[in-house]
Amino acid sequence: TVVSEEDNAPIPGVSVIVQGSQNGVSTDFDGNYQLSVSVGDVLQYSYVGFASKIVPITGQTEANVSLKVDANALEEVVVIGYGTQSRTKITGAVGKVKNEDLDQIAVGTANEALVGQVAGLNIQATEGEAGSNATINIRGVGSIAGDSGPLLVVDGVVLDADFLNTVDVNDIDSVEVLKDAASAAIYGSRASGGVIIITTKQGKEGKTVFSYNTFTGFKEARQSDAYDISVAASHARELANTGELSLRSQYRELLGIDESWQDRIFDGGQIESHSLSARGGSEKTKFNTSLSYVHDEGVLITDDFKKYNFRLKVDTKVNDNFSFGANLAPSYTNRRRFDGSTHDILRQQPWLPIFHDANSIQYVDRNVYPDVQIGDYARERHFDNYDLFGDGSELVDISTTSNQNPAAKVLERDRTDKQFRMYGNFYGKYKIAEGLNFKATLGGDYQSRKQRRYQGVEASRNGASAAQLDLDNFERIHILTEALLTYDKSFGSHNLSALLGASAEKWDREYSSVAVNGFSNDLIQTLGGGTTVIENVSYNTEERLLSFFGRVNYSYEDKYLASVSLRADGHSSFGVNNKYGYFPAVSLGWNLAREDFLSESDVISNLKLRASYGFTGNKDLSLGSGLISDNIELYPSLQLYGPNSSVFNNEVVNGLAPINVANPDLQWERSSEANVAVDFGLFQGRISGSIDAYNKTSDQLLLNVPVSTTTGFSQALANRGEVVNKGIEIELRTRNITNENFTWNTTILASTNKNELTDFAGASGLITNVDSKRAAEWITLEGQPISSFYGYVVDRDIPLEFINDPYAVVGGEAQDVYVKDLNGDGLIDDEDKTIIGDPFPDLIWSVANDFQIGDVDFSFTLQGSWGAEVRNIADQYIFNQFSSREDFNTETTPDQQFIKEKIFTDDIISDASYVALRTLSLGYTFDKDLISRVGLSRARVYASGQNLMYITADGYTGWNPESYQSEGALNVGYQRGGSPIARTISLGVNLEF
Amino acid sequence: DDFLEPVPTAVLVGETFPNNAEELESVLVSVYDALQGVNSLELTDASLNHAQQIEFYVTEMLSDNTRSKSGEGEAGQFDNFTVQPTNGFVFDYYRSMYDIITKANLVLDNIDLAGEDAATIEGEARFLRGLAYFNLVRSYGDVPLIDGPILISDSEAQFTRIATSDIYAFIIEDFQNAIGSLDVTSTPNRASKAAAQGMLAKVYLTQGTNYGEAQGLLEDIINSEQYALEADFRDVFFNEANGENIFTVGYVASNSLESQNFSAEMLNGVGRTSGVNYVTDEAIAALDEFGGDRAQYSKRVDAQQPTQTQVVKWIPNGDADLGIAETSSDPTSAGNDWIILRYADVLLMHVEAILAGGAQTTSSNALASFQEIRDRAGLADDPDNPDDDANTVTVITRDDLLVERRVELAFENHRIHDLRRFGVAQDVLTAFSNANGHSFSATDLLLPIPQFEINLSNGLLSQNPGY
Repeated sequence: TVVSEEDNAPIPGVSVIVQGSQNGVSTDFDGNYQLSVSVGDVLQYSYVGFASKIVPITGQTEANVSLKVDANALEEVVVIGYGTQSRTKITGAVGKVKNEDLDQIAVGTANEALVGQVAGLNIQATEGEAGSNATINIRGVGSIAGDSGPLLVVDGVVLDADFLNTVDVNDIDSVEVLKDAASAAIYGSRASGGVIIITTKQGKEGKTVFSYNTFTGFKEARQSDAYDISVAASHARELANTGELSLRSQYRELLGIDESWQDRIFDGGQIESHSLSARGGSEKTKFNTSLSYVHDEGVLITDDFKKYNFRLKVDTKVNDNFSFGANLAPSYTNRRRFDGSTHDILRQQPWLPIFHDANSIQYVDRNVYPDVQIGDYARERHFDNYDLFGDGSELVDISTTSNQNPAAKVLERDRTDKQFRMYGNFYGKYKIAEGLNFKATLGGDYQSRKQRRYQGVEASRNGASAAQLDLDNFERIHILTEALLTYDKSFGSHNLSALLGASAEKWDREYSSVAVNGFSNDLIQTLGGGTTVIENVSYNTEERLLSFFGRVNYSYEDKYLASVSLRADGHSSFGVNNKYGYFPAVSLGWNLAREDFLSESDVISNLKLRASYGFTGNKDLSLGSGLISDNIELYPSLQLYGPNSSVFNNEVVNGLAPINVANPDLQWERSSEANVAVDFGLFQGRISGSIDAYNKTSDQLLLNVPVSTTTGFSQALANRGEVVNKGIEIELRTRNITNENFTWNTTILASTNKNELTDFAGASGLITNVDSKRAAEWITLEGQPISSFYGYVVDRDIPLEFINDPYAVVGGEAQDVYVKDLNGDGLIDDEDKTIIGDPFPDLIWSVANDFQIGDVDFSFTLQGSWGAEVRNIADQYIFNQFSSREDFNTETTPDQQFIKEKIFTDDIISDASYVALRTLSLGYTFDKDLISRVGLSRARVYASGQNLMYITADGYTGWNPESYQSEGALNVGYQRGGSPIARTISLGVNLEF
Repeated sequence: DDFLEPVPTAVLVGETFPNNAEELESVLVSVYDALQGVNSLELTDASLNHAQQIEFYVTEMLSDNTRSKSGEGEAGQFDNFTVQPTNGFVFDYYRSMYDIITKANLVLDNIDLAGEDAATIEGEARFLRGLAYFNLVRSYGDVPLIDGPILISDSEAQFTRIATSDIYAFIIEDFQNAIGSLDVTSTPNRASKAAAQGMLAKVYLTQGTNYGEAQGLLEDIINSEQYALEADFRDVFFNEANGENIFTVGYVASNSLESQNFSAEMLNGVGRTSGVNYVTDEAIAALDEFGGDRAQYSKRVDAQQPTQTQVVKWIPNGDADLGIAETSSDPTSAGNDWIILRYADVLLMHVEAILAGGAQTTSSNALASFQEIRDRAGLADDPDNPDDDANTVTVITRDDLLVERRVELAFENHRIHDLRRFGVAQDVLTAFSNANGHSFSATDLLLPIPQFEINLSNGLLSQNPGY
């Protein structure tokens, strides 16, 4: 019998094998087992979560063993850059998520599955559309013109971060997050945003195991109550306040329509996922192959995402010294997008029908719209100049916009992104001597993206003149060759592991784009259907990276740990004066628990102190897209001349002009980071966790420094400025109850980050906006986060009595507000503007609970963010509609000098904090004996929900506090409605046979 | 090491470019491109210069001719006379002019590559540079003078404001060079001798010191007989191959890079800002009273909003009532050329030169030029009725000339400069402001130096008074 040392309960499923043989069994439900052995054999007992035990057979016929709980699975292996390391020896800050925590979550993409799984990893669904990329930050934003996202490494191949939503969650074996610079420094110039390493499942020796995972679910949008604007409610309010309905309201009553545009546009959808895999192999050759399909209809109308994945991974051992393997994973995604902006579409009034019917057609302003017929899309302007009393005495206007019908704006546009991507590698590994191995890898990835956008003749108010077809093609091939020499050796208590490597990578990109207009109808939606080519661009670029790197890990008695690494990266983008960058790192650890004075402790089962310091770099500029931007991004050190053209006599003539200010000194952004941490395990690992504190300074930032426009340029790339991110990350895992029939585990993650711009190269105080028409401002001020909202502070609303016509617009509010005279000088000017919030959260946390009650499993994860703000411009669109009828009366309103437009104030800054019930899952695993009769080895059914509860802060009016537009690091947190949070309920099955 | 130094294929590299006359010619094209501006209203994208396409904001809207419909935002600042140094159009126009100057300087710096074409290439580059400085000095006053390649570290050149008189001397030299090296005519989209003569004359008129020379230059154009008024006023704008236009900025429709969107911006509900450069009541009255045939081809009632009046001269989507055909299926990528100098302007400047700052003139040369404009506008006497002489002008006062310029050249971005040049801006705009509830002060006559430049200058660059 095998029992647990802790509570003497029998342990089922313990693997008992004779060492050095294939001879082995598993214990049954009562912990019993039987095995034929000979004297002199050694039995090895192993089970996940317990320390292995060895029992030599000396003639006994019964071997009862008690296994000791392994303190927090200390021997867990963690993938680090170019290798693996046991958890006990890790000296950096590395977070790990094992797959069992991921493929149980019924979501379409890996980035959704990873939310709330690693402390310090902030994943925001900034777009919210099905299949969209998330914004991912590890330990804050450290770059201004660059990309602060992490590096993504899948099976050793460095991929674009947006590959994360292409990976099949079911294929993932583990996800490691290298958070501190010392861990990430082995990836050198690309690692300052941290590194996410994904390792896919490998083949397993033994019987071929087939798994089939599937789920199907329904998604619905989390609607905004504040934006639920109805004619009935508005008129009721008007009646209550004034005792009568204005002419416009009377007219709206006649129309008799009270549409909920949120219901129309956020139509919900279905999600389904199928994944079939086979894993198996012999002692020499192992394989894993899988095929999967996800279809996510999203919650927005027209939003639709399909993903197909295939993978084949084979590893074979030719002889004791030589092995090789190959890994190939093609995927295809087809995404129809929601082509529009929710703030713009949902601003329209609830009295507007989608199509004209026999009733609505009577109201059309025939002087302006003689041709509108029943069945046509209705526009607000159609309803203007209505002769309310039939005698010409009152012509009533009720339109708020000249825009096309909101449904038409979406449905009459067809925008698709189709991508074929593939990554793979081929390696050979040769054992030169004991502990000394050489590995050569040829790998890479390929991406082909076709984007098509057709805007039909009904899509906009401009009709056929705005109909247009855009076709964009992008192709990229990335090739990587890598050679690694590794050496692992123990000398008594000294343990040494060293790595020496070199790699060369190249990326060739090819881009082309064609646009035509001149469509008179939607019959032929191809290039030939249009009459005029309005855009015709093609170009290619090359990028190269040459790297040399090495690392030495040393440990003494597993007590004293040290790691030193260095990487040198040479990149084609950088100037001759700074072609190579060097990224050293050092980290130290001390396993106190292995010291004599603690080794016998009943309380402390693990205690490790870690400290690290290292340098990482960043070179990824995000200057925009297009020929000019892409070429400046890749060749910024050179003086470049780009094409332009002018018109002489109606003939287009091509010209050439400088497109950048060359900077031969340009080099990497550099981050240096210190990390100190403690890992602990108490009461045999019942309570375990870690606390990390870091201070990361990113300097010589790649900045588009403003330069006087008398130079012909308004900005020039230079290495200036400094940003500091400081924070604390806490991980706490508890095994609250561990019984045969009842287990309850809890994981608590929390991280704080404080972002501060410490040097902005003389441009401190830079004020920027993203839309000069609605020029709400951001300020970039030293001593503050990289971007802060800037504006006036609301004092009070303008009383209704001073508003010209407060009920002109359904749901309407005044566009203006009284603001505070902060400096008390009696007037409102720039001096009264102040920082009115910032978009960076103070605390991100999650609490996950897992219960196993007999065959039933139950888990839920609460996740939240606290302290961030967003500027949600949708408030102005939806509440005011830019209606001058709701402006204040300039004759009667007092103190007009203190009135400002709301968008320039903190009125539209809202607290973006939230608490979400991210996942809730209830599963049942069928009895093995029962299902074995139908040939199954495992069968689980489950129901799961995402975001079933989603609580936002008071005053947040929008659909998704996580959403914001990508406007670069200086203008973070600009929300233009965005896509709503999706609530999903799914049913799923996991089968193995 | 070549591995780390791939050569770009879609762009050229400074080490090897420009290297011959043909390549230098392509840089010259980019100077015209800089004047043409980018068709987009992405004002916040610092790399986009809209140049000519947004000039109406900083000129016509700042005058009493046009306004925005809403009076709000950055566009509204011009009609309210509340222009801020942070105004995006003020910045855009400034940097657009220096973009022209920088590219022209690049051509001139490499002029030795041009070989036998050197004179023409230099003349064109100097004409465009002169034009850019003329726009700058009239709108901003003293401005930095950049006359060659400049390093981004050279803050003294970038932020030292040079006195207007020195800038004018520089402009005169540029235009004189262009006059000496260019042919009399070319396509109106390229600089010509006549264009340079006309612009130089305008410089002299603006300086108010060399009226005689101005008159001579203008008479050179008139006597060259290469240009004439178009018979039908409408055709000046909607028949681009006409013989009246001397220098225009070329655009073609339905080409995102070569089209313009100012046409659409001036149309209700089509432009992104839904109504800018709308005609003021004052301009409507002037056109109705003095415009003759020109009124109907200058302004029209907005069909969608009968209380509003919009500019006709650049409409891209046609107007059946006015007999104007559609020129572009998409108004936002319109092909209507922008006219910088046309023969009618030359004739009116001719009158101005003869007036020479005086109150009135009866010079027959002036009367002839003036009458030619009036006749074309349908303000001629009835030729069959010898007794009809009501429209025969016998004396031209400064006020007459200003009114005539207003109605003839309405919405062609001349008004604000005319008011300044005639010395009446203060009075006219004060009256206009009082009538419209704005407040105007003399300091509003110059645009502010963009705050962007002030911020970068570390105190070297001073702001214009009143800002």
